[in-house]
Amino acid sequence: MDVRAQLVMVFNLDKCIGCHACSLSCKNIWTDRKGAEYMWWNNVETKPGVGYPKKWEDQEEFKGGWVADGQNLRLKAMGKGPTLLNMFFQPNMPKLEDYYEPFDFDYGNLYGAKGGDDQPVAEAFSQISGEKMAHIKAGPNWDDDLSGSQVYAAEDVNLEDRKIIEQYSTMFMQYLPRICNHCLNPACVASCPSRAIYKRGEDGVVLVDQEVCKGWRFCTSACPYKKVYFNWNSGKAEKCIFCFPRTETGQCNACAHSCVGRIRYVGVLLYDAAKVEQALLKPDNQLVEAHRAVILDPRDEAVREGARKNGVPEQWLEAAEKSPVYALVKEFGLALPLHPEFRTMPMAYYIPSLSPVLAAGGELHELVEHGTIPPRESLRAPIGYLASLLGGGNREVVAAALEKLIALRIHMRAKNLNQPPDEAILARAGLDEAGAGRLYRLFTVGGYNERNIIPPQQREDLDSHTRKGASGFGILKKTGRGK
Amino acid sequence: MLNTLIFVVLPYVALALVLVVTPYRFFSNRLGWTAYSTQFLERRTLYWGINPWHYGIILILLAHLAGIVAPGVMKRLLGNKDALIFLESVGLGLGFLALFGSIILLLRRANSTTLKRLTLVSDWVLLLLLITQTATGVYISLFMRWGSQWYLHTVVPYFYSLISFNPQLEYMADFPLIFKLHAAGAFLIVALLPFTKLVHMLYQPFTFLKDPPILYRWQSKPKERVG
Repeated sequence: MDVRAQLVMVFNLDKCIGCHACSLSCKNIWTDRKGAEYMWWNNVETKPGVGYPKKWEDQEEFKGGWVADGQNLRLKAMGKGPTLLNMFFQPNMPKLEDYYEPFDFDYGNLYGAKGGDDQPVAEAFSQISGEKMAHIKAGPNWDDDLSGSQVYAAEDVNLEDRKIIEQYSTMFMQYLPRICNHCLNPACVASCPSRAIYKRGEDGVVLVDQEVCKGWRFCTSACPYKKVYFNWNSGKAEKCIFCFPRTETGQCNACAHSCVGRIRYVGVLLYDAAKVEQALLKPDNQLVEAHRAVILDPRDEAVREGARKNGVPEQWLEAAEKSPVYALVKEFGLALPLHPEFRTMPMAYYIPSLSPVLAAGGELHELVEHGTIPPRESLRAPIGYLASLLGGGNREVVAAALEKLIALRIHMRAKNLNQPPDEAILARAGLDEAGAGRLYRLFTVGGYNERNIIPPQQREDLDSHTRKGASGFGILKKTGRGK
Repeated sequence: MLNTLIFVVLPYVALALVLVVTPYRFFSNRLGWTAYSTQFLERRTLYWGINPWHYGIILILLAHLAGIVAPGVMKRLLGNKDALIFLESVGLGLGFLALFGSIILLLRRANSTTLKRLTLVSDWVLLLLLITQTATGVYISLFMRWGSQWYLHTVVPYFYSLISFNPQLEYMADFPLIFKLHAAGAFLIVALLPFTKLVHMLYQPFTFLKDPPILYRWQSKPKERVG
């Protein structure tokens, strides 16, 4: 057993309202720079949709992630030898048009335009070339709320039947906020010829060493989530840093902090690093279970002993015990990994969303009359779609999570109405009274300090002089092309 | 005078710059140590420029290096007429490939407003210098036949005289101007290397080839436990 700790984020999709507050706070802090205008380390997509960059989930096109090849895991795109032969031209790398050409508006013209017959306008211009853009053809969220669904949402690779979003009667949508997953088996790390990308041993955050990166661009293609970006100004790769300057000082990530729907939970998971590779060799539909098997119980004395041996501090063990992430991912089995079949073992988990019922007018009326919460089978979002997104194709794990959410609602509704709660409903979904109480708190009234349990970093254990020297952040040296 | 400049002053200046500026740049600020790829912004033309260029020029450079590193082996190898003809033809082909690639790369930058905005003076200088260098190389290979053979008896001994700080100009003095241009270009490129994006050449993937796939860095125990 090789026990390591990881900071993990859980997203409760049932509560995401798609407001993009997370994206904006992230953008304002980290990517409001030359070369990074097009980057959204955190973005929110409408599902079904093609996402950002367009069709990132389609690994036939981008060749990201890993494939289980009999007894071995290998990068889908290329091995080490072919990597070196493709250093000059990276065949699978997404291009600017797959994201969008970043633009701004010439507001100065509103004040500085010469007198004339027409009102001056603030024309759009490209933030890369500086040229005027007559037509803006794409943006970071071009297909928000199913806009242009015939063109965009219909291309979603998770859809079994594209007709479903072409008709109002069967259409559905939900939001999917995404950050870097800080995977346990990161393809970006494995594919970097410069060995510039690494996983921090203490908290598992995946970072690009800007001094070592030479801009070979293999990480941008290898990441199946397309969460490593190429900065066209600095000529190097950049990615979400899990707000480590914030978590190191006890604050939660900017995206989680600014979340209006309070859908995000940040906490510690303990995992067995020795079992990761074996777990990833399992077939697609067993991967969710395999994920859960790699995560260790922080209350187990053997696990705690193993963790201590690996230098995990006591405060981290304490945080792991209280971790909302452990509860949601392992104890309750509610949170599922995004596209586990990419086999990077992503460390961001998603609680699937319930959706409105699929019903004609009359039936709906009947439901309202009877005052019941509709059964899972009547939800609009097809279970196959959710399973493709969050279950590696395994419908049962998604269904089980949805059943728990529904049982919890029925239970809490009865409680609120002072009706006798039906224990059998909870039990059938695999919950009990205490568990339901805990989930209810986490989902509703739980405050900042319940949703985010971030232990002090090991940096705090260092002596203050060493720490001062090591904790600087922000790049002060000259970077980029200096033009 | 010209000979002294090209064959004595220039090489030693280039060598001094590489030895002094490269480590200085490495230790002071490596944030600009990259190839500054523009594939993200334009990839269609790049494919036809960058691949011919690199595959052509790397093999040609290796051939130049082989003569210096192992002159004996090369002499024996090129004593065989068939081997000589084969090597010369392949070399010429690679030369044309590199020339084609580099010209495409120049045209690509010149024809794109986006790329022009990102291109520094040093990029233009490098591109023009590399094209000139490749063109003179192709010319020499075409019109001064059996270069791989006489290279071993002129340039290589001159090179050894350079290394032993006893430059012997007589090896080079009687060559035509075009050859002297080729030599001057080579030293100039070496001199510019530490100042430009050419530093991306100074990179070795050995750790990548032998290390385990997932790299961990521990702050608490910086040296041990990679993996």
